[in-house]
Amino acid sequence: MADAEFPQCRIVTERLLKPETVEKILNKLAVIPGIRRIVINGPSIPQKVPYGPARGLDNPHSGKATIRVGETDVDLKVQVGTFLLELETRDIVSQVEEACKEVFTNFSFSIKEGKFMRSTPTQVDYAKYGPNANEIMLGLVDPKNKTGPTLLQGNR
Amino acid sequence: MAYTPQYGPGQSVVAENRRKQMNPNVKLEKMRNVTDEDIVLILGHRAPGQAYPTAHPPLAEQGEPDCPIRKIVTPTDGAKAGDRVRYIQFADSVYNAPSQPYQRTYTEAYRYRGIDPGTLSGRQIVECRERDLEKISADLINTNLFDPATIGIRGATVHGHSLRLAEDGMMFDMLQRCVLEGGTVKYVKDQIGTPLDKKVDVGKPMDAAWLKANTTMFHSLVGTSYRSDAEYIEYIKRIHSLRTKYGFMPVE
Repeated sequence: MADAEFPQCRIVTERLLKPETVEKILNKLAVIPGIRRIVINGPSIPQKVPYGPARGLDNPHSGKATIRVGETDVDLKVQVGTFLLELETRDIVSQVEEACKEVFTNFSFSIKEGKFMRSTPTQVDYAKYGPNANEIMLGLVDPKNKTGPTLLQGNR
Repeated sequence: MAYTPQYGPGQSVVAENRRKQMNPNVKLEKMRNVTDEDIVLILGHRAPGQAYPTAHPPLAEQGEPDCPIRKIVTPTDGAKAGDRVRYIQFADSVYNAPSQPYQRTYTEAYRYRGIDPGTLSGRQIVECRERDLEKISADLINTNLFDPATIGIRGATVHGHSLRLAEDGMMFDMLQRCVLEGGTVKYVKDQIGTPLDKKVDVGKPMDAAWLKANTTMFHSLVGTSYRSDAEYIEYIKRIHSLRTKYGFMPVE
């Protein structure tokens, strides 16, 4: 079971973000010490056209970009509109909010404390990771997805 | 006394816009000039300049049976020529798009002949004979029924009407059929997502004030709230009450 004691927060922006803005905010968040995990959420952008007569054709899309967070490349597969953060202590929320204010200047955003990530394994998690799942993986990536989470180099 | 249709209840600007769109005596405002060739490209049913493929011989050659209904109803140009039935489908953002699925179906049913509209929650499709479709599509795209940013022409994979807009004001489209370039919206794929050889310019996105003044959708956060229209509320309450009581005793 994931440790439910860590505080979590959710950032929701008024607009769905461009990859450049996502890169900007993630780089601001990456240097804040004490963020354990970040999940980025939004509507999916498929590699290929999924339905209809054009099914199977390549799907060029400006939202499907590779951004650089710290020293690591991150492939975006969604158009980001929500960030879930797991923090070590609650006092970091104000720093996160400050970072958001610097980046989200043209539209509003909301930041909310609560519990947003899964803490118990689902059936699909169980099928993928077995009974001794690494708790940090739960709720972080879609268990059916072949690619895992991106690890950012720690800053302490 | 002759019956004058009212088209719909309400005192708000949204209600007024709905009536204006439905009423065939009100001329739709021409806002942009997308050429016929460009419309054919976006539709993706035939190549521009190609002859219309047919589903049956022209009615004049076919030898029609002696039928009183056929004498009353004049066939449309497309039906006369035996064109195939083809479609155009729209997805309208909830953020003050100028039209929306139910509204589109009412509008088209009042204004055009020989069509088969299909209404869904997030998209609306209209089917008709190919050459009629191109004429109707030109109306639907070139007039105040359309906004390049908040309305998408999407044959398949329509998801996006209820999502937040992107930073540049465009509605989410997982196939990104249109892009905002230099202030105007350009279609880079046809309605089903096949890349186009040339970009089709459909004009500038309308500004937020125009959208708010011309939308046919209620939205309590970015537009006119439904609750602010007392007449609409009264109407819906009446319909609700009549429908609830109907099975018991359909009298007021």
